[in-house]
Amino acid sequence: MSIRSKTVPLAAGLIALSVSLAGAQTQSRPGLRIPLQKDSVRFAVIGDSGTGEKEQYQIAKQMEAYRQAMNFDFVIMLGDNIYGEHEPRDFEKKFEVPYKPLLDAGVKFYASLGNHDDPKLEASYKPFNMNGERYYTFKKGDVQFFALDSNYMDAKQLSWLEQNLKSSKARWKICFFHHPLYNDGKMHGPDLDLRNQLSPLLKLYGVNVVFSGHEHAYERLKPVDNIYYFVQGDSGKLVHHDFHRSDLMEKSFDRDRTFMIVEVAGENLSFQTIAAGGDTVDTGTLPRPAASVKAAAANK
Amino acid sequence: MPAVVMLVVGLGLSLAQAPAPGSVDAKLISEFKERVNQYLQLREKVAGSAPSSTDVPEKLAESRNEFSNKIRAARGSAKQGEIFRPEVAQYFQREISATLNGRYGNDIRATLRHAEPVKMKVQINQSYPENVPLQSTPPTLLLNLPELPKSLEYRILGRDLVLRDSDANIVVDYVPNALPGSKQ
Repeated sequence: MSIRSKTVPLAAGLIALSVSLAGAQTQSRPGLRIPLQKDSVRFAVIGDSGTGEKEQYQIAKQMEAYRQAMNFDFVIMLGDNIYGEHEPRDFEKKFEVPYKPLLDAGVKFYASLGNHDDPKLEASYKPFNMNGERYYTFKKGDVQFFALDSNYMDAKQLSWLEQNLKSSKARWKICFFHHPLYNDGKMHGPDLDLRNQLSPLLKLYGVNVVFSGHEHAYERLKPVDNIYYFVQGDSGKLVHHDFHRSDLMEKSFDRDRTFMIVEVAGENLSFQTIAAGGDTVDTGTLPRPAASVKAAAANK
Repeated sequence: MPAVVMLVVGLGLSLAQAPAPGSVDAKLISEFKERVNQYLQLREKVAGSAPSSTDVPEKLAESRNEFSNKIRAARGSAKQGEIFRPEVAQYFQREISATLNGRYGNDIRATLRHAEPVKMKVQINQSYPENVPLQSTPPTLLLNLPELPKSLEYRILGRDLVLRDSDANIVVDYVPNALPGSKQ
């Protein structure tokens, strides 16, 4: 879907200009890392991005630099896509302007809803590809994505998720939603009640990976019930020194804003977490967990 | 109990027992749903269908405002308690209290505390302010309250339970002090 060509409002234009100048000093040329395999599913991940502030623009600029180097096709958004007011100028300043190079290149954005989002307005905003729904699913290659609304996990949504997970024939099942089931952040911490109701379904139907935001930092956790959990709520907002140490924590980063690039190829998922300055702060390749393989087979 | 809930029950999750058919609580739920349906019928009559998707932000705001203004005009005299009648409100307070004292009570309280709690005075027909975060509603609580049609939702605001029209961004009704004050 093409975004309308328009005159950039003055305020947004000034921000873009200042970021452009700042970026000229700080942005490094992307160092390639992800496996970059042929016929893989490659995408970017951003969370808590929609501030409209210069830091969001810096991340957006890095994303475009990496897209040019790595050519990812789409972006999943982990909620808080538009902070504050939801006037037309906010959709421009907090989404259309910062990501314009990506949108112009045909990159699609798939949004999930955070607590700062307006569910109806954002679900109806076509560039977010939600088709008017608070939760939805889409498939790319061997990967099926489930975008959930963790603000309002009612019986309808749980039932929808169960039916769609059960019927999925995808090799990889990836869920993304705003509130993390596990995380060691001091600001919010895990959503325990959401975990009570959601995690049995994720385990039973062989979900492999969960991406969440809400906590304004980056964390990768050790697998729980053979599910890989990532928290990435710092593509616009950031809270420094935001972690307790825990046995579940595999890696954390809270010194700069980040985004991720993820590549799924065959039985492996590779990830690369990149800070606003261009440094890769976490990277690795994870095999599809054995239990997920069993769960998927059992549910066929 | 609706079919959708039965699937979730299959996982052994905690749900309140559905009131026996013909019981006082079953009648209160039925009355509540009837009033919710009356609201939606009025909405359909005065404002038509909810605004559809667009890639033009100006149209999003325009159509939402037009839609919600028509509903507000038609419900200009609406008062708190028209849908949550006192006996219905008491039923909701009992259900919420029972859920908070149930198996997942502590986790629900933790979720409420961590969800950027919002305190503001609620008024019928007001728009929920766009610059105030929408506090998430704990899933176990949702599973224990009467199910709502797609365009309506329960939201917690402080200790109040709000019935919100998510298409129009309007407070339709609310139960003051629906959540118990202690341990919050």
